[in-house]
Amino acid sequence: MTSGQLQKKAQWVRRQVLEIIAATKRGHIGGAFSCADILTVLYYSKILRFDASCPQMSDRDRFLLSKGHACLALYVILADLGFFPFSELQEYCRKGSRLGGHPDRNIPGIEADTGSLGHGLGIGAGMSMAARLDDKAYLTYVLLGDGECYEGSVWEAAMFAAHHELNNLVAIVDRNRQCAMEFTENCNRLEPLSDKWHSFGWDTITVDGHSIEALCEILRPVKTRTSKKPLAILANTIKGKGVSFMEANVSWHHGIPTAEELAVARKELAVD
Amino acid sequence: MASPRLKSSQLRERSLLLTDRKITGMQSAPGIIDMRDAFFSALFDLARRDTNVVFLTADMGAYSLGKFKAELPGQYINIGIAEQNMASVAAGLSLSGKKVFIYAIAPFVTQRCYEQIKVDISGMNLPVTVVGIGGGISYNSDGLSHHATQDIAVMRALPNFAIYSPSDAISAAASAVLSYHGNAPSYVRLDKGTYAPLYRSNERFSAGVTELKKGNDILIISTGPITHNAMKVSIALEKSGLRAGVADLYRIKPLNGTAILKIIKSYRRIATLEEHSSIGGIGSAISELLTDNAIAEAPLKRLALRDCTCDGYGDREWMLAQHGLDINSLANTVITFIKGAK
Repeated sequence: MTSGQLQKKAQWVRRQVLEIIAATKRGHIGGAFSCADILTVLYYSKILRFDASCPQMSDRDRFLLSKGHACLALYVILADLGFFPFSELQEYCRKGSRLGGHPDRNIPGIEADTGSLGHGLGIGAGMSMAARLDDKAYLTYVLLGDGECYEGSVWEAAMFAAHHELNNLVAIVDRNRQCAMEFTENCNRLEPLSDKWHSFGWDTITVDGHSIEALCEILRPVKTRTSKKPLAILANTIKGKGVSFMEANVSWHHGIPTAEELAVARKELAVD
Repeated sequence: MASPRLKSSQLRERSLLLTDRKITGMQSAPGIIDMRDAFFSALFDLARRDTNVVFLTADMGAYSLGKFKAELPGQYINIGIAEQNMASVAAGLSLSGKKVFIYAIAPFVTQRCYEQIKVDISGMNLPVTVVGIGGGISYNSDGLSHHATQDIAVMRALPNFAIYSPSDAISAAASAVLSYHGNAPSYVRLDKGTYAPLYRSNERFSAGVTELKKGNDILIISTGPITHNAMKVSIALEKSGLRAGVADLYRIKPLNGTAILKIIKSYRRIATLEEHSSIGGIGSAISELLTDNAIAEAPLKRLALRDCTCDGYGDREWMLAQHGLDINSLANTVITFIKGAK
């Protein structure tokens, strides 16, 4: 896909997320919107190696959505790519559905149950270690929230990964600068966040998490890295990105739009 | 074993082992080995045959782990004092085809990382074995932080988990084999020190419970090394003309209700004995079994650690006595219970 096509795809993903939330009145819209461009680049620009018809393909790259509450954006992408029927999205959070409010391994394309923050990087480090032990070439990508970085277990895993030189592990931090109720720097200051990762022994890159071109430029060479260190990508994003009244507004961690708000959001997330 | 290369943690382990021998009154007879060494020797044999076995320790040692580390370095990781990460890394390894054993002092490897165990291991039903050293007040004078007195309660509440609670070296070794072959999450509540064998080396360990001694007045269902106290209480009761049977519940979950109900049919009363809080341990499990099966004719007495953070440090024997779990107190309590007094 071209950058323009990826941009449109990301817009389309946000629109689908909006419609699902509007229909079910459930879901975390702000965090799904902030990472939509990152997920789009990972899945649609040949960054991740996968086979939707064979989700357990042994040499697939592993992707873990550690900020599991953003799962709607991932569900939309997995369904679009054919991991499961697109029509199944209508069942999100409905009785008997396998599509819940946080990722579940029963869903094709989901590697691990996540939802409680601070688990994904450790699980990912275990997968990276297994690849090392088995001499496998796959990479493991973990998408974390920045508020998630408050969890001590994130730093236990960061220390472990650096010590064991797990250069097959990539952490992407969705740096939308908000946790559930506050702006992160007003709640518990995270900055200098890049320095923290660096001091834990990681290579670090900061990128505009809404720039398709910049994300591609950063992510495409990851497979051919020669550094012995794991890689942390701090992606500067905006929570609620794409809908003006949601952007950088702490009300939209898991807000549900009213009919009026929905009309505005639909207009701003218009798709062809 | 007196190697100048022993790490401080190993030296500490060794010191505690020697202390245990003294306070439990167990003699280290030839051929009787420490429960940890029995467990880790069995695990070493499994790991040598199966390179997918990976052992993670949160900076906790044991004599026989030295051999594991030296001969199977690719399958051994000291992950540091980071139990939460250890549980999550174990899940990641397991999701990639590994059979993982994680190891630390029992309260740390169960309760410090309980949520990781719940979500990452139990929730995904992964073949990870949680090995906790020092059940109950095994770490006596190290204090409350090192006591595992709620571990059975919390681990029993986790779906998919099996819980093994060996009482001697033979059942400890069997716990390694059972958890390896279980292909599901398991918790092994391991103890330190040497204990006289309660089992023959050819015991099959399939039922989850063994009636070690038959009686009729009362059945004492016990778990872990305190089962040795149950055996001694049974002998003490003989002087009062009472015949107490002893059943060792070496697998706490899944509880073999059928086997237990079959055993208790021969008894007038039941007692449970455990080095664990009176809340949520095997006393609770047996009580639930009796209630669920509407068995009212078998009165139950639960013998366990009192629900308190008791003051005072001492050796294990002294601390057990504070909870009424020494041989004399137990015998008196059981006699009173049998006679129907308060």
